[in-house]
Amino acid sequence: MPFTRRSLFATIAAGAVASQVARSADDSVAIPGKRPMILHNDRPEDLETPVHYFDSWVTPVDVFFVRQHLPRPSKIDPAAYRLTVNGMVSKPLELTLADLQKLPQYTIPATIECTGNGRGFYVPKVPGVQWMRGAIGNAEWRGPRVSDVLKLAGASSSAAFIDTDGADTGLASTPDFVRSLPMNKAMHPATILALSMNGQTPDIHGFPVRLIVPGWDGTSSVKWVVRISATAQANNGFFMNPGYRYPKYALPPGTPAKPAELEVIEGMPVKSTITAPEDQQKIPLAPTTLRGFAWAGENAIERVEVSTDGGSRWRDAQLSPKKLPFAWRLWSLEWTPADPGYYTVMSRATDTAGRVQPIVAPWNPSGYLWNAIDRVGITVEKSA
Amino acid sequence: MRIVILIGAAALAAMAADQATLDRGRKEAGLACTPCHSLRLVESQRLSRAAWNKELDKMSGWGTKITDREALVEYLVANFGDDKPPSPPAMSKDGVPRKQH
Repeated sequence: MPFTRRSLFATIAAGAVASQVARSADDSVAIPGKRPMILHNDRPEDLETPVHYFDSWVTPVDVFFVRQHLPRPSKIDPAAYRLTVNGMVSKPLELTLADLQKLPQYTIPATIECTGNGRGFYVPKVPGVQWMRGAIGNAEWRGPRVSDVLKLAGASSSAAFIDTDGADTGLASTPDFVRSLPMNKAMHPATILALSMNGQTPDIHGFPVRLIVPGWDGTSSVKWVVRISATAQANNGFFMNPGYRYPKYALPPGTPAKPAELEVIEGMPVKSTITAPEDQQKIPLAPTTLRGFAWAGENAIERVEVSTDGGSRWRDAQLSPKKLPFAWRLWSLEWTPADPGYYTVMSRATDTAGRVQPIVAPWNPSGYLWNAIDRVGITVEKSA
Repeated sequence: MRIVILIGAAALAAMAADQATLDRGRKEAGLACTPCHSLRLVESQRLSRAAWNKELDKMSGWGTKITDREALVEYLVANFGDDKPPSPPAMSKDGVPRKQH
């Protein structure tokens, strides 16, 4: 091969790519039990699901996203496990895993989404894990109702909240991860202490016992639950205040919130996401299936509309059959592009309460609740 | 051409003057941040100087010992400032044994 400037450039470019690949491979880590995931943090684990895994209604455990606030506690021996139930109860309890297994078991399909999913889309940038589309998943959670556990303990009718503490603890003086849940949501028949997800008990997802608060932000679903206390007042620790709060009144982007005007986040907004084709993908000029998912916190999804022309015209997408509160619906739309070229594809969901995804997600200082109409750019190429 | 060389030399001089601080800052990041979390969490942020200072205040409050804060801030702003493009996503390696695929 003659040594031209072009080949020299190509050689340098190839070398640069090779060294980049090598560096990222050397640098990377495997997370036991997980397929390749978008790695935001390996210690503790903050793992995002690449969108190409979102092609099934139930998200497999081996690609389910992970968000840890604190280092994972050492693996809990199921035989040694104890759940303390105390506070405003007539009969404080120390329950074993077998005790929890003896209570009536319920299967709850529910989507769980990190409060900060989509934070990476906000401008100006805000601190926190820069999640894009994949801090979300849908699983079948199974276990006893929290209400049955509270009845067993004789929870006082004047208790207004439960505090839930996980076995994880912060390093140095990092605050402990404790979350407070209003009693009416704690007593909801779908709020359970999950003993499994999709029939498995992965330690990384908070088992042997994980609180599941369907339709609420992911942070409500405390992992490795070791204590539930019935209380009169909401917990005021960092992860309740100022953590996981959202401005009551919308703020100009980039401006701080007034602490007194921040509210606890509860149910999640209506939202849809495009999973195929992926953003900036090239596809041939041929019939193709646009795909994604949509969910609406405590409501069910009523409708998903898709535009292939930047939002000028919209068509209804097909929805997967189960129309449930808490769980997402997959959507799809067959599309035959008329011409080659660049297309802006968008998706917009409407829920059973009539909420519609906005064009602009309200900026907030912690980057929570991103739910703007999703949008990907696709290049359609003439077939050779 | 001459102007380009002069500007280049000036930029180099400015960078060289700062390099010792940036090196100290990189070392400080390794010492101060990694007892609790990996540096990936730091390096994936794109924050203004004010926002970085706020983060360091929060972490100090949580028990992080920062001895060379000035250099640390310079390092963070120079490498992970809000004027820098977002870092490309890193992928973890496959952690599922082959037989389970």
